[in-house]
Amino acid sequence: MGRRWVTLPLVTPAIALQSLFFFLPLFMILIVSFTIRDSFFFSPIYTFDNYVKMFRIYRIDFQNTFFLAGTAGVIDIIIGYPFAYILLRKVTRFADVFRAILIIPLFGELYIAYGLLYLILPGGPVSRLLDALGISPLDVLYSAPMAIFGMSLYTLPFAVYNIGISLQGIDRSYEEAARCLGASRLKTFMRVTLPLSLPGIITGWLTSFGWNLGTLAIPVLLGGPILGTRVLSNQIWTTSLVTSDFGMGAAIGVMVVAITMVVFYVVVKLSRGVLV
Amino acid sequence: MSRRMHERLSSTLSYLYLILICTAILLPLSITLYRAVVVTRPDGSMTISFQSYTMISEAFWDKVLVNVSISLLTVAIDVAVAVPAAYALVKYEFKAKRLLFTYLNGVWYVPGISYGLALVLSYYFVYKFLLGFWGFVVAYSTGFMLLALLTAIVAFRNLDPVYEEAARCLGAGRLKTFFKVTLPLVGPGITAGVVLILVLSLNEFITALLLSGPTRVKTAPLQVFSDIRHAGIQPFVAAEATVLQLVSLAIVVLYLKFFGTKYLRGAIMI
Repeated sequence: MGRRWVTLPLVTPAIALQSLFFFLPLFMILIVSFTIRDSFFFSPIYTFDNYVKMFRIYRIDFQNTFFLAGTAGVIDIIIGYPFAYILLRKVTRFADVFRAILIIPLFGELYIAYGLLYLILPGGPVSRLLDALGISPLDVLYSAPMAIFGMSLYTLPFAVYNIGISLQGIDRSYEEAARCLGASRLKTFMRVTLPLSLPGIITGWLTSFGWNLGTLAIPVLLGGPILGTRVLSNQIWTTSLVTSDFGMGAAIGVMVVAITMVVFYVVVKLSRGVLV
Repeated sequence: MSRRMHERLSSTLSYLYLILICTAILLPLSITLYRAVVVTRPDGSMTISFQSYTMISEAFWDKVLVNVSISLLTVAIDVAVAVPAAYALVKYEFKAKRLLFTYLNGVWYVPGISYGLALVLSYYFVYKFLLGFWGFVVAYSTGFMLLALLTAIVAFRNLDPVYEEAARCLGAGRLKTFFKVTLPLVGPGITAGVVLILVLSLNEFITALLLSGPTRVKTAPLQVFSDIRHAGIQPFVAAEATVLQLVSLAIVVLYLKFFGTKYLRGAIMI
């Protein structure tokens, strides 16, 4: 019996599932993105209009989304690097507890958004403290920093994971050599460890950015009516399913996929095959 | 400062840092729980009461049930589909293996918002029979299959082939070897995938948001979202928000208690 006849039946169901319900829908969204409004449902009118108009009408949404997701990624790196470093190098007791806590943000952005919403709202636990400091809770609530804080909590595990993987891959003898040759701890870190873990930093940022591109509840609930609702994810939802402009919704959707694809292509190249 | 004191200080600071960040991570959940169970009386004193949970509408519990059934079916489909594929990917060498792996992973790299819209369009035009409950099952199975695949691959890789060879030498058939030797050994690894899929599918929000319109099925997180928008931060909304989070937490804690972090490392943990 040839190997092929063993392998093929084993992988076919998985391939079928992904082909039918991932690649085919992806192909459809691409087609629909070239049609006007909901014309695809009746007699499709093909055009490039959606892509031309998109950058004019939704420029501010692109800006907001990139700004929020990008900044959240930077914060994840700044917070996540020491976290991964300490978890792998310094801590032995309770390390598994800290690892387990890192799963909690995976429960979803919705709950993060709700928790932070209540924390800051007038009458909430922190509002009295803010009052004492002379800050109006509403200034904090519906603002970019609050949405960025929520997003960075959401994607922190991905940053920690990517940085951790690259830290684990560093041959410790390089650091020992630097120390033996008289470099201080700080210098060893700055000149040896940090440059060697740079791929992890970049992949961590990109992963965090890629995931935050698609968040909806955090910007909408925490970012407020001006900033928060003008993000790409919210526009995809409202244009397609609320106002039935499926063509435009699909075009923005395709754009988001394209951006994420580029981002993750770079991630996979840099991480040398380690999964994101 | 002596060397020992220096080390002590550095260790203390390390733990303080981890605790600080973990507090921030736990903040949303704990604050939601606080809102759900802590009641401030008119005289200013605070008590713990679970009354908010009794105020959750029956409709919400129905949606939790729908959600749980979707998740369980998703887990069943994903394990059935991904475990054989993972076995083939680890055990056999064949052409285009990397390409196949990328093909099966693709969905993970597409944001849920775009994927949700793509699915809606395909349900409208091609898979009309999926406009309903099964639409969710199919969507989640496709979207989360990678997690079952990845954890199963890690499990099969860690499996020492000696045991299987021994069974084969002693006369067990391929099928018998797989069910009697391979499967029990990789069980905990596959369970890791099951836990991840359960947790993520119970709480999936954005794909569900897009699917809920055409399929007319609403899952629990969607009910929480619309209640936040309409009822604000009332205690019963907080109670709703904690229900599936606590279920997920219990699943994760139970798993870690039995199997530890070993099988999750390399998949989503360092």
